[in-house]
Amino acid sequence: MKGKKKKFNISTLWQYYAMLVPGVVLTFIFSYIPLYGVIIAFEKYNVGMGFNSPWVGLENFRYLFSQPTFTRTIWNTLFISVWKLALGIIVPVTIAVLLNEMRSDKLKRFYQTLIYIPNFLSWIIMAGVLMDILSSTGAINTILAKLGMGTVNFLGDAKVFPWTMIVSDVWKGFGYGTIVYLAALLGIDPSLYESAMLDGATRWQQIKNITIPLLMPTIILMTVLSLGSVLNAGFDQVYNLYSPAVWETGDIIDTYVYRLGIQQAQYSVGAAVGLFKSLVSAIMVVTSYRLADKLAGYRIL
Amino acid sequence: MASLTLKNIKKIYPFSSDEQKKAKKKKDDEPEKKQVNLQITDEGVVAVQEFSLDIADKEFIVLVGPSGCGKSTTLRMIAGLEDISGGELYIGDKLVNDVAPKDRDIAMVFQNYALYPHMTVYENLAFALKLRRIPKDEIDIKVREAATVLDIMQYLDRKPKALSGGQRQRVAIGRYIVREPQVMLMDEPLSNLDAKLRNQMRAEIIKLRNTIDTTFIYVTHDQTEAMTLGDRIVIMKDGFIQQIGTPQVVFNHPYNIFVATFIGTPQMNLFENAELLKNNGRYSVKLGDYTVELSEDKQAALSAKNVAAQPVTLGVRPEHISLSAGGIDAKVDVTEMMGSSVHLHVDAFGQDVILIVSTLNMTQKELDSLNHGTDVRFDFPGNVCHLFSKETGINLEA
Repeated sequence: MKGKKKKFNISTLWQYYAMLVPGVVLTFIFSYIPLYGVIIAFEKYNVGMGFNSPWVGLENFRYLFSQPTFTRTIWNTLFISVWKLALGIIVPVTIAVLLNEMRSDKLKRFYQTLIYIPNFLSWIIMAGVLMDILSSTGAINTILAKLGMGTVNFLGDAKVFPWTMIVSDVWKGFGYGTIVYLAALLGIDPSLYESAMLDGATRWQQIKNITIPLLMPTIILMTVLSLGSVLNAGFDQVYNLYSPAVWETGDIIDTYVYRLGIQQAQYSVGAAVGLFKSLVSAIMVVTSYRLADKLAGYRIL
Repeated sequence: MASLTLKNIKKIYPFSSDEQKKAKKKKDDEPEKKQVNLQITDEGVVAVQEFSLDIADKEFIVLVGPSGCGKSTTLRMIAGLEDISGGELYIGDKLVNDVAPKDRDIAMVFQNYALYPHMTVYENLAFALKLRRIPKDEIDIKVREAATVLDIMQYLDRKPKALSGGQRQRVAIGRYIVREPQVMLMDEPLSNLDAKLRNQMRAEIIKLRNTIDTTFIYVTHDQTEAMTLGDRIVIMKDGFIQQIGTPQVVFNHPYNIFVATFIGTPQMNLFENAELLKNNGRYSVKLGDYTVELSEDKQAALSAKNVAAQPVTLGVRPEHISLSAGGIDAKVDVTEMMGSSVHLHVDAFGQDVILIVSTLNMTQKELDSLNHGTDVRFDFPGNVCHLFSKETGINLEA
């Protein structure tokens, strides 16, 4: 809030601060104290010695950046998440605009519910479903074969795997985005459409000249805010669906950290990757927040 | 420019299936309650009915009435934004019931202006022309012409957000000037403005009307706007037309009690305890002990209809009542000083009666004497009496 700052007065405001205390304490215990563990990224960690393991400075990072697998995971992560981001905007906006044009409210509600359902299923369940329908004898391949297009190894072909991730993620999540954009569409003054109708605009011209431009602030906001999570390409999804055959294109930072740290017990290197990702993400979050403020006037405080 | 004919226009909003079920259930369970302003039939909610009106080319028609009377619905039916449930609508000679809004060559100014918020004033003005694929240089000429007429040249690069209410209003009007439509519809265009700006814009609309030759249909709930703008006024209530006439006719010869009280501020005083007398063919009206003979035109009108002596509701406008030495006894209740006049609320026959007294020839002492509780007397001449039937509320002269 700009303008005069209110004088801090603990005698009248203490109840509010008291309500804040549990949250602050829990955040401190569970989010800040574990941060101490970050030091293992700078040590040659040994389970027996714990945090007192030998200090190696940036050696783990040097090792990491010299690994071709690491640069590969960064590229994979960016490829998958940027496409998810782009399609995660285009698809919901399109569907929202189409739903908004529907005359029957009943059908509209029906479709809205239908496309929102996958959003509630966890990736564990979704992975099971996908493995089934994408298998060589699954529904999709059966149809493709019947159409004479041959079968596709959606989960085992390194070229196809990232796209399987992108499309299935968009499919699972676009219902949520659609509802956000539908809400934004509801906020558009209906008299603008009536006015445009009298001005001689066709349905398509109304969408092009009124709906899309007025939806733009919401689109920008959603995009910019999701920039902060651009290095999260979807651990749950990829981990449950990938296999060594597709590591080349499907291994993302999170799965790499998991394999390195937990499965191969290279705790220090795993921690270094995690720290690197967190730093980049933090910078992205701050940048995207600034951008959101600048482009869409979005502010939390 | 075109004439308009509305023949028996009707608008019914059908029930949705849920509402229908509810209505049916209600009917079975309990006696139906009548909702204020709305007539509910089996088909749905009736918003407008039996609306017939001939509008001449270049006429300025004002639809006026309280909220929910169907005036905006009628306007929207003319624009094509609402389907017409029954009747016929002609623009010129063409039946347009099923013609799309964009093909009716009609423009409409909305209450909230409906300016495209993401476009500049220039783009707002040019939008309709652009859709018609008019060459750019021609659009430019038209936009600048309209902007000059409306005095908004300096705002062409601004977005609507950066304009004041009055300026937005001008842009909204400008958007339609550039199109030169056959009929211009205005839906309460001044109701979002403050009082001062409203007066100013009202004068501008009168000026505008002289500059652009087109048929205007204007909707308002403000009777002052209706009186000052309209060539003819259509007064509506509960979906029905109550009276159509020039401002003068509507003011001087209200068709019924509703019109009489709706037009004119402060509203007309109504006396329920009056009596119409007929002695030797001459009509007079008696209110308490006060009797006044009606004027010759009223005598003629009543005689022509052979109206019998009967108890009536008497209406007299506040500006037609004056303080006098004789007449009806009353006690001053409240004095409202308006500057050039005083609105005097007095208590007579146990009801509130309003008088407008000019302060022009009054001394301060006389003014000061009009305190709460002061005894006064008032009367009125026979030519300002409006007589309404007790049963129907319709003017006995009509």
